[in-house]
Amino acid sequence: MKVIARGAEAIVYENGDEIVKYREEKKYRVPEIDLPLRKGRTKREFTALSTCSRAGLKVPKPIKISSEGDKLHMEKIDGKQFDYVFSVDKMKDIGILLASINELGIVHGDLTTANILAKGEEIYFIDFGLSYFSKKDEDHATDLFLFKNALKARHPNEFKKAYRLFIEGYEKTMGKEFKGIETHLKDIERRGRYHENG
Amino acid sequence: MYVLGIESTAHTFGVGIIKDGEVLANERDIYRPKAGGIIPGEAALHHYELGPIILKRALDKAKVSLSQIDLFAFSQGPGLLPCLKVGYQMTKFLADKYDKKIIGVNHCVAHIEIARKVTGLNDPVMLYVSGGNTQVVTYENGRYVVFGETQDIGIGNLLDKTGRRLGIPFPAGPKIEELAKQGKNYIKLPYVIKGMDVSFSGIETFVSQIIGKHKMEDICFSLQETVFAMLMEASERAMAYCKKDSLIIAGGVAANTRLNKMGKIMCDERNARFEFMKKEYAGDNGAMIAFTGYLMRDYVQDDLSPRPDFRTDAVEIKYR
Repeated sequence: MKVIARGAEAIVYENGDEIVKYREEKKYRVPEIDLPLRKGRTKREFTALSTCSRAGLKVPKPIKISSEGDKLHMEKIDGKQFDYVFSVDKMKDIGILLASINELGIVHGDLTTANILAKGEEIYFIDFGLSYFSKKDEDHATDLFLFKNALKARHPNEFKKAYRLFIEGYEKTMGKEFKGIETHLKDIERRGRYHENG
Repeated sequence: MYVLGIESTAHTFGVGIIKDGEVLANERDIYRPKAGGIIPGEAALHHYELGPIILKRALDKAKVSLSQIDLFAFSQGPGLLPCLKVGYQMTKFLADKYDKKIIGVNHCVAHIEIARKVTGLNDPVMLYVSGGNTQVVTYENGRYVVFGETQDIGIGNLLDKTGRRLGIPFPAGPKIEELAKQGKNYIKLPYVIKGMDVSFSGIETFVSQIIGKHKMEDICFSLQETVFAMLMEASERAMAYCKKDSLIIAGGVAANTRLNKMGKIMCDERNARFEFMKKEYAGDNGAMIAFTGYLMRDYVQDDLSPRPDFRTDAVEIKYR
């Protein structure tokens, strides 16, 4: 097995056509926190990936969870991490995909440009470890909020245009439900600390 | 070049003096509320009363006189307005009297600059943990960007509120740490990570409901382990996402040994560097304001009024 990525919480291996995502033990936290967290996230990720892929959305198809519960086997997507091949041209598609996922009642919970793969013209979402089921506008708004912040931090120069295109795609797909989500987004942003210019 | 810096954003009134980037004095006094949390007016009064004394102490320590100071810097925010005003007025008075330039410094930026200076780490991720602030800060394209932060209360605030319910006086951190060392049984608490952010208010409520049902030691142990693990996770995510290979922890809560130990383990596991910050420079202090004022000595600033909501990423970093 070949290591293809080492993220903050997992090592990703390639094993033939399969990707194995192993959530390693974190020695800085006590086992009582560490183990349920790693197993829980692996399970969440499996559930979200299978719901999305059954609906035909672009995510890796999950295969199985290892018996120890901390390794997720899934389909290999031969793409590049989007933060390295960042382009505003893809932002609208990202908005559309996120809206479709939210419409299924799934909140990604951790969308960043590192959690998106670009394969040719197509984009895929990965890393659903912090995902959960919710139909609430407020929870869908957190996906927008987190992605907006991640864009601002990692791609500050392209941020304005990128975010506008992203929202355009999101709003178009979400339709009239977008209004409510947008209201919650503004609310979350207000609640955040230290906002001088609204 | 001598720079004098005044810190007065919250509990601490501090005066630092530096010469050409080297610290000569770093004096302070901390307001401690008699009961409950910080009362901004009372804290400001403390700063008014003790300000001149701390100033004199710093000048004596540095063996310089006010007329030798070339530049006056003060903490412009974020912070409590009544407290910020004290630092501002004192700085303004001194700068006017000696006809010298004033530099307004962002408090959070000052924390990271003094950390870079004393640890020698050039481009660390900073986990900034104090009473009101909980942020993970990284440097990107000429600004310090808040990569993750608390979506509600600050970590120190959580510890102090919980401490009050347990009968521990302000600041509760040290006593909670001591009790936590004797705790053995982990009580499952909510672990709330939202993307890059953390949230503490749910934990605060949860803990308030289990007080009396468990041993104090176990509550403190579980609280520390949970919230520190969340902070470590947020820091590690910032390091991985922004490709940074070192971490420092600043702010009042950086005095906690367990938190630093976790930082060291986390960094070791990912082959990153971790540098422990001495309490003198980790907590709020005047030297960090003076030092950052020194870095910013050529800035031209139009607005020097206190900014209670001063954002870390509002400052353009031209000296790095």
